[in-house]
Amino acid sequence: MVTAQLLVNALALGAAYALVALGFVLVLNAAGAVNFAQGDMVMLGGVAAVTLSGLLTLAGVRLPGVVLLPLVVVVSGLVGLLVAALGFWPLRDRPPAAMFVATIALAAVFEQSAMAFFGPEPRTAPALWEGAALMIGGVAFGRQPLALILVAGLCVAGVYLLLERTQTGRRFRAVAQDRDMARALGIRAARLVVGAFALGGGLAGLAGALLGHQFFVHAGQGPAYMVKAYIAAAIGGWGSVPGALLGALLIALFETLVSAALSAVWAQALLYLTLLIILLWRPQGLFGEAIGQRA
Amino acid sequence: MTGVLRIEGLSVSYGGALAVDNVALAVPAGRIVALLGANGAGKSSLLQAVVGLVPSTVRQLSLGDTDLAGLSPERRADAGLSYVPEGRRVFPGLTVRENIEVGMDAGAAERGARVAGMLALFPDLADKASERAWRLSGGQQQMLAIARALVRRPRALLLDEPSLGLAPRVAQDVFHRLRAIADDGVAVLLAEQNAARALAIADEAVVLAHGSILLSGAAARLSPDDPVLTGLLAG
Ligand SMILES: Nc1ncnc2c1ncn2[C@@H]1O[C@H](COP(=O)(O)OP(=O)(O)OP(=O)(O)O)[C@@H](O)[C@H]1O
Ligand SMILES: [Mg+2]
Repeated sequence: MVTAQLLVNALALGAAYALVALGFVLVLNAAGAVNFAQGDMVMLGGVAAVTLSGLLTLAGVRLPGVVLLPLVVVVSGLVGLLVAALGFWPLRDRPPAAMFVATIALAAVFEQSAMAFFGPEPRTAPALWEGAALMIGGVAFGRQPLALILVAGLCVAGVYLLLERTQTGRRFRAVAQDRDMARALGIRAARLVVGAFALGGGLAGLAGALLGHQFFVHAGQGPAYMVKAYIAAAIGGWGSVPGALLGALLIALFETLVSAALSAVWAQALLYLTLLIILLWRPQGLFGEAIGQRA
Repeated sequence: MTGVLRIEGLSVSYGGALAVDNVALAVPAGRIVALLGANGAGKSSLLQAVVGLVPSTVRQLSLGDTDLAGLSPERRADAGLSYVPEGRRVFPGLTVRENIEVGMDAGAAERGARVAGMLALFPDLADKASERAWRLSGGQQQMLAIARALVRRPRALLLDEPSLGLAPRVAQDVFHRLRAIADDGVAVLLAEQNAARALAIADEAVVLAHGSILLSGAAARLSPDDPVLTGLLAG
């Protein structure tokens, strides 16, 4: 049975996946290539949250999650810059496949480094909002899922406003649609692409820290997040921002509701089946532009 | 050789094949130089090399006092070069207003005022200001590409076959506007296959064949029916 709690949990999971998918699509649009390290950037965000709070506790400081999160976002943004510096910048004039391969290598490096320094066993990231479940209208809701929905919702809204309402966002979209033409208009395309990596990294790390409380953090979880971002983008329409958000939500609905109704295995199977059906019915994805519309 | 835009010894090759071979030309302020040539003559390659989008070797490339050689496309644009590419290449997902606004380096108020100025200059675009650019007709997209280039207040404007695919009357309108733009003091380099139409508004013409300039002179002295010219334009 679909309960209000289950729905909130699904929404919270979807909101976290939406952050991952959003970062993936921003880089995809800006660089014109897949950042395969996006999943491991989520994992590193979780690792950063666990490590930072551990270090601070050792130092006798106990920071609430709300203060810890911005720190994690900054660290993850720096990881994004590192990915840009190694996986994009040296290859910026090569075909997109070069960046794809380079970021696969980086993903492996991240995973192995986490394995070496953080260890293989799962750990828990601190909660964003601690305390007993809230009673709303006689129904108990966990605080963490509610906080997650709020934080992720604010971030998505912020990125939306940045893209749609600012000159930087306009320039970003112009670069995504025709990089050379944008450069001929004086737009610093490379800077915007690097900025997209930093933003994508920050969003991924934030998601990792937020998910790390309910679902643990462990060094090997990157690829699973990567696949989710990839599927969300494919369902929504390769490169479409609202499409990726919808795709992320859809994945979370399967993992939560279908999983509760049937089983986790069935949820996975039905998710991939749905993906196939969507792609057969609309090869360009739900929000994809028909071929030819894009320049 | 005088002119705001000066090009000397410019060559472009694609994997060993020369597409532009040691070309020299100058475009003075307020003048239109028509760059004529058959398909594959090298017109687009020449313009793209000046804009900085294809690699080239060049002895001199300057805009006013600024040496453009070795600069990135972004810096060439900052120096006052604007480009209207073959096929228009408006940003399809941006609105008409956004397309005009996106290339401007100015505060929001100033950008708004200059966009309004462009919309006043191109009334067809004013009606569609909030439409995504992919919804525009070919002629409207061409106007948009010109407005997008012009709003940056360039010293030199490079256009690659702006009349391609347009109905004769629309093309006529585009060309009238180019004349007005030049009369405002902009140096205009206009690549065209339609010699008659280009010669009608140009001050000078150069004819490119297989990457080299084979003929050049005052536009008034070149007749579109000249057998030498038609021979060259036939490729
Ligand atoms: N990217 C490229 N790679 C390889 N060869 C190219 C490339 N672009 C153009 N060429 C070649 O360079 C030569 C000049 O092409 P260019 O497009 O500059 O001519 P054009 O005068 O603009 O022709 P058109 O009137 O058809 O637009 C042609 O032989 C063309 O095949
Ligand atoms: Mg051409």
